[in-house]
Amino acid sequence: MKKTLLPPLIPFVVLTLAVEFSVREGFVRPYLLPAPSAVFRAVIEDRAELAQALLATSSATLAGFAMSALTGITVAVLLSSSRAIERAFYPYAVFFQTVPLIAIAPLLVIWFGYGLQTVIASAFVASVFPVIANTLTGILSTDPALRDLFKLYGATPLVTLFKLRLPAALPQVFTGLRVSAGLAVIGAIVGEFIGGGGLGSVVDIARTQQRIDKVFAAVLLASMLGLTMFGLINWVSHMTLRRWHASEQTE
Amino acid sequence: MRRRTFLQAVPLVGLLAACGKSAKIKLALDWKPEPEFGGFYAAPYSKYALDVEILPGGAGTPTVQMVGAGSVDFGIVSGDEVVLARSHGNDVVALFAVFQNNPAGIMAHASRNLHDIGDVLKDGTLAIQSGLPFARLLERKYGFSHVKVVPSPGGDITPFLNDEKFAQQCYLTSEPVTARRKGIAVQVFAISEIGYNPYATVLATSGDMLRKNPERAKAVVAAVREGWRAYLDDPQSANQRMNQLNPTMDLAAFAEVAEVQKPLIETDATRRDGLGTMSRERWDGLITQLKDLGDIAQAIPPEDCFKLL
Amino acid sequence: MDLRVDAGEFLAVLGPSGCGKSTLLRMIAGLDRPNSGRIVMAPAGDPFQTAFVFQDAHLLPWRNVLDNAALPLELMGVSKEERHIRARAALDQVDLQDAIDKVPAQLSGGMRMRVSLARALVTEPRLLLLDEPFAALDEITRFHLDVQLRELWQRGAMTVVFVTHSVSEAAFLANRAVVMDRGGGAIKLDRTLALPAERSNELRGDPRLGQEMKLLLEAIE
Repeated sequence: MKKTLLPPLIPFVVLTLAVEFSVREGFVRPYLLPAPSAVFRAVIEDRAELAQALLATSSATLAGFAMSALTGITVAVLLSSSRAIERAFYPYAVFFQTVPLIAIAPLLVIWFGYGLQTVIASAFVASVFPVIANTLTGILSTDPALRDLFKLYGATPLVTLFKLRLPAALPQVFTGLRVSAGLAVIGAIVGEFIGGGGLGSVVDIARTQQRIDKVFAAVLLASMLGLTMFGLINWVSHMTLRRWHASEQTE
Repeated sequence: MRRRTFLQAVPLVGLLAACGKSAKIKLALDWKPEPEFGGFYAAPYSKYALDVEILPGGAGTPTVQMVGAGSVDFGIVSGDEVVLARSHGNDVVALFAVFQNNPAGIMAHASRNLHDIGDVLKDGTLAIQSGLPFARLLERKYGFSHVKVVPSPGGDITPFLNDEKFAQQCYLTSEPVTARRKGIAVQVFAISEIGYNPYATVLATSGDMLRKNPERAKAVVAAVREGWRAYLDDPQSANQRMNQLNPTMDLAAFAEVAEVQKPLIETDATRRDGLGTMSRERWDGLITQLKDLGDIAQAIPPEDCFKLL
Repeated sequence: MDLRVDAGEFLAVLGPSGCGKSTLLRMIAGLDRPNSGRIVMAPAGDPFQTAFVFQDAHLLPWRNVLDNAALPLELMGVSKEERHIRARAALDQVDLQDAIDKVPAQLSGGMRMRVSLARALVTEPRLLLLDEPFAALDEITRFHLDVQLRELWQRGAMTVVFVTHSVSEAAFLANRAVVMDRGGGAIKLDRTLALPAERSNELRGDPRLGQEMKLLLEAIE
């Protein structure tokens, strides 16, 4: 535990102190970059509002992420069933990766209206592609010798999928989920800029009020949400893959 | 408090005029080129030995921070932004107020037959930037319990067009014109109706600029004043220039808006004291309102907020 | 090529790289199809059980040793109880009865290969195909597994086809050796080895082994 927490903590502390010093001494203007103490104060003072906003953003993010995970894995399984299908439909999956979210978000509002559902949709659009891409790679890169073995003993493609290819793809699936989690947070915040609610709305409103300390406070909470999700996925991945793979054995 | 200045200004204007070289200046707008900026495009900068680069903006362009930080020499901000900025230690000063009366308002479908701004809040959806002082004033006065408040779509009127009960914040000179042209009859309630009337489309610069190079600021204001006079008398050529930069509005719309905005720009005060004039009373009133709203912690001296050159 | 393998034989297939020995083995298993010609198994009526052992153990890393060994039976639809019993028996045969709860990550290379062998034996195959299975292991383990394989063959009614690069291994294990020609697949040498039926590690030092090795080597070159 100490080995993983302490090293990243040191640069963070150093950077925080450096910024605090710079703002106090006037090297950096407080309306451009707030002192960490001001951000901390904003978190405490506005804690009720921020807590509610965090709850809203977290719900939307988790819902969008869950949808991405389920949809992404399902789509990847379908794409893996035949080369023809993969070639025909994979480019559409890529679309989700490349389309600028800030351009799509207003469209999402028009289709789904103002409210949590749009934020969830935005989180989904932002985060589904890495799950598809990584899961597909995982499924397609199954050990050919094992595929031969399954064939030899008369296993149907479906049996091979569930007993071999999906379990073998699990490490890749977790990689995809890790990336997807961070993107789901971003997607939710962008959705909130346009559709309202949550930390995105706090950022937008604080910005118009020129309360840059509050902006940073909201951003900080959003980052913590992302980090927490990332940590959770890592933990689940560790627990699941612990016995199996050399990469997990080095703990 | 030690402060490092990001702006190195040398009083060169007079010298350069003599040499025939123009001073390079950046002016940042807080929206796309539209008639609200007409005078800035019509201004005869070269006559004052100025080489002004106008930087169009969009949704969320942080002009008040850009001016304060010195990344641009001049910028367009709103009156209340100046007060908020100064209360946060950002030394920006207003020089020229284009809109004597604030063009901000709430736009609703005329078919709803609403009587005043309070009626808008009795039903349906209101798209508004909740952080803005006038939004909070509205909430205080009428309450938002019966209306669904959503973020302002920033110039996009598609949600408005699709929903009869959708009302949104607007600029008198912008969204209503577009809506009418799309065939929707609209009703606009000016925010000045509730007694909130900060100067709008205000030319501002940093306190540094005024201290180090007052001649340049003076020259810019003079050029801008001439520009607005010219634009009010004949907006055509400036409109053409702006239309090229902002093709989302056609020339007919440009002409219509230029006409609609006139009474907000040219008033008894400007006829008496010149275009762009500002008064201490108006600034004082605004500061009091903002302190009352809780947007600023303490009142600031109104004479610090503006300078007539 | 024309090759006939009799039931109960231990056939070693040798040849330089690229001669097609692995491909031949895969065709016999039905994993690859010949462009021309046929592979015929007789008697055909029997549900002919073929087992294949690869060069690497290729175990499922998320399953323990017992479930890995039981995999073929699981794919064939055998009940959990029965397949566990049969898997234990197969693991007994390769001396892994104490490791059934371990996962592959906890096993050495040699142990993993033995699991792979047990997995091949669990269906009590009539035909056992091995594609350089011990090539990646160290010599001591290799010698040990050679002896174990030979014993397993002697116990059961299996036909074994063993592809290898190693002349010494071929000579030690097989009673018949076939050398394939480079880049053509034709058979250069087909020889019944003049060695005793009982093969122990003592044979390694025996000059008769050396003689057979020399003959095989000459054929390869």
